[in-house]
Amino acid sequence: MKNPNVIGLDVGTSRIVTARSAGGDKFEFAKQLNAFVSVPFSKMVERSLERDGVRYDVQGDHLIVVGDDSPRFADLLHVETRRPMTEGVLNPAEPESVPVIRKIIEGMVVDGDNRPTVWFSVPAAPLNAEEGLTYHEATLRQVFSDLGCEVQSINEGLAVVYSELEDTNYTGIGVSCGGGLCNVSLSFLSMPAMSFSIPKGGDFIDASAASVTGDLANRVRLTKEENFHFNGHFVDKLHQVLTVYYEDMMLSLINSMKEAFSDTRRMPKLNRPIPIVLAGGTSCPPGFRDRFERLLRATKFPVEISEVRMAQDAMTATARGALIAALTEAD
Amino acid sequence: MGDRWGTIQKRDRAGGAGQWRGAGLVARLAGAAVRFVRWWRLSRSRRVEWRAQAIRDPKERLRYLRAAMGTVSLGNEDAPARFTRWRAGAVGIAVLAAGVLLAPAWESRSVEAVGLDREIPLEDAGAGEDRGPGKVWLVEEKDGHEVFSNGLRVETAYAVSNEPRRVMQFEEGGRMVVAGSARPRGIVFHTTESHIAPFEESENQRLRRVGKWLLEFVRDQRAYHYLIDRFGRVHRVVKEDDAAWHAGHSLWADREQTYAYLNHSFLGVAFESVTNPGGEIGAVVTPAQIHAARTLTEMLRGRYRIAAVNCVTHAQVSVNPASFLIGAHTDWAAGFPFSEMGLPDNYERPLAALYAYGFGYDDEFVRATGARMWKGLALSEDQVRQEATARGIPVRNRRDQLRQQYRSILARIDGAAPAPAGAHSRGEAVHSLKRTATRTAGEKRTEEVRE
Repeated sequence: MKNPNVIGLDVGTSRIVTARSAGGDKFEFAKQLNAFVSVPFSKMVERSLERDGVRYDVQGDHLIVVGDDSPRFADLLHVETRRPMTEGVLNPAEPESVPVIRKIIEGMVVDGDNRPTVWFSVPAAPLNAEEGLTYHEATLRQVFSDLGCEVQSINEGLAVVYSELEDTNYTGIGVSCGGGLCNVSLSFLSMPAMSFSIPKGGDFIDASAASVTGDLANRVRLTKEENFHFNGHFVDKLHQVLTVYYEDMMLSLINSMKEAFSDTRRMPKLNRPIPIVLAGGTSCPPGFRDRFERLLRATKFPVEISEVRMAQDAMTATARGALIAALTEAD
Repeated sequence: MGDRWGTIQKRDRAGGAGQWRGAGLVARLAGAAVRFVRWWRLSRSRRVEWRAQAIRDPKERLRYLRAAMGTVSLGNEDAPARFTRWRAGAVGIAVLAAGVLLAPAWESRSVEAVGLDREIPLEDAGAGEDRGPGKVWLVEEKDGHEVFSNGLRVETAYAVSNEPRRVMQFEEGGRMVVAGSARPRGIVFHTTESHIAPFEESENQRLRRVGKWLLEFVRDQRAYHYLIDRFGRVHRVVKEDDAAWHAGHSLWADREQTYAYLNHSFLGVAFESVTNPGGEIGAVVTPAQIHAARTLTEMLRGRYRIAAVNCVTHAQVSVNPASFLIGAHTDWAAGFPFSEMGLPDNYERPLAALYAYGFGYDDEFVRATGARMWKGLALSEDQVRQEATARGIPVRNRRDQLRQQYRSILARIDGAAPAPAGAHSRGEAVHSLKRTATRTAGEKRTEEVRE
């Protein structure tokens, strides 16, 4: 039996993913790029958008194309896609961030008169840095409230735990490697014992690689998403550079976890090794798990790790976990 | 006493020792209590875990765990677990207030005409010697294209009909005014101001796709007679016998006649291009487009005996009757390659709208035109000034007189032959395509100019 009134939502820097119950143990997911293109209004473009069935909005003297259609039109019209979010939170330098994210969310969440209860993911505060998440979370809550939805937030790493670590009674470390951040949450029997984020993710890899190769970051991202993997030897420079920055991100992540979990005052008493589960779009390249585990095992990690595993579906794990949390409250 | 004191002292000492022993016991008990609590906690979590393991439904298990392990915020622990309604409202108000404060202030455009002091005699205005192009004839006509003797190939797959060109001429203010003619009397060159892709081999697919969109759009809008795409292909859009909605409010004049509403008397030729302010060539065009435009111009001039002075750009003819300013559109306001088209530099021609009908221009138009158009502007200004002097009236009064003549022309056109139904709206649609980019240099906004 489908429960359309509860939705798990992963509000990521790169993508927004929804999860709904499809009856029983089944879930259904929808994804949209968290990006948009703004082009000067012209009847020609408007007509082309209508003809191709593309969702768009007219704002002032500009046409706004949001979500999955935006890269295609950015490429065709030779403009850059813009991102409403950066480093896991609303982009403060993007004046259109709130209306655009509202548009994307509205399209994914609202269906006719139905106003579901939404559990959406929020990043954790950065390690050793002042948290600046209040505005982000409050604004998203306002967006959902304006749409008429009940709303609750859930930490992103914890959502990964809820999605993937049922077999360990939700004890373990959930890691979500997204576009802007890597979120980490250590959960003990479903309780978040410690959560933090590091400001390195897919965007960091793209931008760093692009600065070395001279390519556009967008182009690097496309190559990364289409071809990149860790296995084997690469002759082309872009692959080599991507490998270097991927490893840099992994090492930063592992070192941050080492530092955080060394603080025994906040650590729960663990009586057995715990798993790490990896999720998020940046963890998708083949070989990511192996490379991560190799680097992890090479360090003196303060917590005994039983295994490093990938989420069943790295792209949807956060939304799935948010939905599972929502369902426990909803029933 | 001594014993007693001694006893007492002993007792005290014994009591003190007892207290010390008692404190040690308390410490031991406290330690044991801590160990017990730790043990109890560990035991409790183990008990909870054991019980959880027995629950098969993952949802139920999670629900049990969360209830058993205590109430905790699932969100970011450091962030407030719940936002009260008033707090969310306050943030919303703050966001709105910031939006209002940061909203771009629309710059109001100056409508003051800019005066010129340069003295350039009108007689020197360079109409240029017009020998006319050599004879160009149709070599081949097939389904989908025509080939002409100068190498021009016209793609006709997208050609459509529109309303037949009206014929309308009358005399006003001592000049013959042509508001429509059976034979095309001139050519207006446009840029589409549409989105363009980099002209590179790797962009081939995008170039073709965007070009096709544009072609379909201008066809549907009956926007031009010809469109020259980025590859230099010449597409016939509206048949030459019909009007196209390319230059609604417009004025031009040669030595004999004034042309108003050029949709019905001039052919519209558009380059798939955008304005290139400050560039030597006034728009982003390819060598193939320039070559194609030259052969097309030759063919049209030869076929319809079009005078070179009547081959002009949209910026030269576009007017705004509401503000009495020229340059409502600024495509090809500067840098049109007249010489490459085999034409004289018509930027040196005085503008009829200025010298004959009292229009003005603003500094934004001057910025758009650049140096090449100054001569024509100066000549026009000078003529108005001379006429005012000859009549012994201020220049402003002379302009008012000239404007009255234009109003009379409008009245006669509107009265005698009202614009056909739909023509106006189609004209609007066509020109919504155009961005007056040069008029809003420095601002990332588009200004749609309605004709």
